[in-house]
Amino acid sequence: MKKRILAIALCAAMTLGLAACGGDSASTAESSAASAGTASGSSDDSTVVIAMGSGFSTLDPGYVYEKYPPLIVNACYDNLFRFTSNDGEPEPNLVDTYEWSDDNLTLTCTLKDGLKFASGNPLTSADVAFSINRCKNLQGNPSFICETIDSIETPDDKTVIFHLNTVDSAFLSKLTYSSLAVLDSEVVKENGGTDAEDAATADTAQDYLNTASAGSGPYVMTSYTPDEEVVLEKNENYWGEASNVDKFIIEIQPDSNTQMMTLSSGDIDVAMNMTDDTMAELTDDNVVKINEPTKTVGFVMMNMDESVGGPVSNPDVQQAIRLALNYSEIQTICGEGSVTPYSLIQVGFMGSKGERSTDYTDIDKAKDLLAQAGYPDGFDIDLTVCDLDMEGIALTDLAQVVKENLAEIGINCNIVSDPWAAGYGDDYRDGKLGFTVMYWGTDYNDPNVQLEFLPGKTVGLRAGWTAEMDDQGLDDLYDQAMAATDNDQRSEILGQIQDAMYENGPFIFFAQAPSHIAYSSRIDGVAVSDPYALDVRSITIK
Amino acid sequence: MERLKFILKRLGYLVVMLFGVATLVFILTKMIPGDPTVANLSQRALNDPEVVAAFRAKYGLDKPVLVQYFYYIGNLLHFDLGTSIRTNNSVLSELNRCFPATFELALFAIIVAAVLGILFGIISATHRNSAGDQIVRAISVTGVSIPSFWFALIVLYFFYYKLHIMPGPGRLSNTFAEPAHVTGLFVLDSLLEGNPAKAWDAFRHLILPGFVLAAFTMGLITRTTRSNLLDVMSTDYIRTAKAKGLSRRRLIRKHALGNALIPVLTVIGLGLGNLLGGMVLVETIFNWPGVGQFAYESVLSNDYPAIIGVALLIALNYMIINTIVDILYGIIDPRVRLQ
Repeated sequence: MKKRILAIALCAAMTLGLAACGGDSASTAESSAASAGTASGSSDDSTVVIAMGSGFSTLDPGYVYEKYPPLIVNACYDNLFRFTSNDGEPEPNLVDTYEWSDDNLTLTCTLKDGLKFASGNPLTSADVAFSINRCKNLQGNPSFICETIDSIETPDDKTVIFHLNTVDSAFLSKLTYSSLAVLDSEVVKENGGTDAEDAATADTAQDYLNTASAGSGPYVMTSYTPDEEVVLEKNENYWGEASNVDKFIIEIQPDSNTQMMTLSSGDIDVAMNMTDDTMAELTDDNVVKINEPTKTVGFVMMNMDESVGGPVSNPDVQQAIRLALNYSEIQTICGEGSVTPYSLIQVGFMGSKGERSTDYTDIDKAKDLLAQAGYPDGFDIDLTVCDLDMEGIALTDLAQVVKENLAEIGINCNIVSDPWAAGYGDDYRDGKLGFTVMYWGTDYNDPNVQLEFLPGKTVGLRAGWTAEMDDQGLDDLYDQAMAATDNDQRSEILGQIQDAMYENGPFIFFAQAPSHIAYSSRIDGVAVSDPYALDVRSITIK
Repeated sequence: MERLKFILKRLGYLVVMLFGVATLVFILTKMIPGDPTVANLSQRALNDPEVVAAFRAKYGLDKPVLVQYFYYIGNLLHFDLGTSIRTNNSVLSELNRCFPATFELALFAIIVAAVLGILFGIISATHRNSAGDQIVRAISVTGVSIPSFWFALIVLYFFYYKLHIMPGPGRLSNTFAEPAHVTGLFVLDSLLEGNPAKAWDAFRHLILPGFVLAAFTMGLITRTTRSNLLDVMSTDYIRTAKAKGLSRRRLIRKHALGNALIPVLTVIGLGLGNLLGGMVLVETIFNWPGVGQFAYESVLSNDYPAIIGVALLIALNYMIINTIVDILYGIIDPRVRLQ
């Protein structure tokens, strides 16, 4: 009997121990909620805590190309131009005035007065030239952004002259890109940085820039623990007008369930990686939800080379597949906020012709086209798909919907899984895939990135769509789109390209992935941002 | 002296084994399909031969595999595990960053698992076929069979989200700054910093992930303790001791438990080794920046140096733990001689 009492007492002691641990937590949670009023993860009222996904490797602007680093780069650094809204145009930031030459091959920018870095060093044209040349010469992921720059001239401290090797209508958009953020050249050089032609091997500043920022933005990075958190604090030397947020804590929380719980419990203020399911769990009035499309677009690719694509290289079959897809169903799989673009230019870009009607699907017409192409009973084909996901939506799930839709017109797809890094990536780039489901994230925020899908261009060639196959004058329209620096003229040309590809070509752009963001109502200014993942500069505390 | 000789001999084995593991993992990473260039460069960058060449040169991928191997082993002899392709930091510094987080959590989990597992095992064995035994057996079966990611979400949902009696994910609340790095163990470093409130907060953050990780090993320990104690209790010497009139409590504590615990020690050792390798899903859900997450991200990026570094760390953990367990055998049972 004594032993039983002892065992019960022991268990009771353990339970009490746990309760004691929790009791303190409860009181902390209560006091936290009381101090912040609503959902608030801040250690004080002027701190905002953001949860974002994982999977980035560097915070050195010269190397960044992944989704999340622009959030931090945009907070700590300035670019010559920047986007202040997701569907807007590039606006001068460090630049006071700018002027194109008559031949559109020279851009002269004059910097604003009184610009300085967080270190206190003045920001001059030499810093601009250093930063852009460094990015170009590092030969890293984002170096392509500089491919149209022939040289940079800096006649005085305030003037930067870009000489281009070809007319580039996207050049102002490119100057907003995080990799072209202006670095404090003095600090970066002190830490091993160089913009010389041998920067790819000689530059050793990445280690430093992974742990500290060297910019002129409203915040400075005070700590970065990989796979854990980044802390940004107000730049006391900021030259512009800063928001009322003193500190951002950016926590890396890969799991959307965790983000939902930490937001609801008040430990974070913004959850960037929600899903339809976790959004549905949020019923608190103090939480604001955003479901909007991003510019990441999913597409079906059908190889134009018959020896690779087989039946899907036939234009009638391609159109039959276009008509057979159930766009509403695909949008449902992608989640609330998803849209199907009219053609290759995503909704939200300048010049976009909007959405493709979800009534576009026409099974009877698709069957007729298949019969016309010589496949009245359909055919069997491999549909290759890799292990990547489009903003959290597995490509295999999308391939499954395509398979089910095409079964209705007699096309039997055999889904073949092929890992991206173990074969698919090479085959995709080399144009060896006959029929696949893939996605495309924008490199920089400009509709010109989509022109790579045209015949003879980077992605077009992956579908075996050579320049010689162009029978709609798309090559000429490409040249016109690249050369047009007037926005009305650009929109007009982009419209013609979208019309030409609406029912033609080896690509079917079936959906733009949505972004699901939830945030505490104590803050304002949270919005979906393709260029910056989240523009923290616009966030304010009410 | 015998023990010292044993440890020195084990250290010799350790070096040979680590060399073998490094070679094996190196060969395996080169054999599996996948190219770090494709995994780490963007679609756009892969179209530029200059960028691809610069990347391959930077990480020595342009050299023949045999040359890469000799470079790697040469660097290893200087305690240089190479540079992570994904983060561009030295693999040693990356492991130094994430291993303490895993170690602290694993240590907590194994203590919980051992204490509760042995306790439940004793209760179950001494009250065989009673209601208590059935409950304990149900708990241990549940602990062994429950998927850890699901259990992690459930405990987080109830104890943090619904009941608010436990802290959320992470190693520390946002109200505290990370303690100065001494050992990397937040509880200990906070105490060394003279901040008991921070140490308490760090300890509380260990509880939920610690119990989730402990569940599996605790189930194993409970079952092993129970079956071994039952075996020992039916031996002749226990029957003799019983016949001499020893109290049941004294019988178990002084005579039965010591012998029954030897296999349990093996289970604890293996459990700790397993936990020290990192638990990807639990670390992801609890936002715990440990070895598991690092290994997962490294595999996704085909980051060979990091993958080999993690493999070496895991091998080292097991070897050290096995050595300690062997030494403890000798302490628990003097009949066991170290050879």
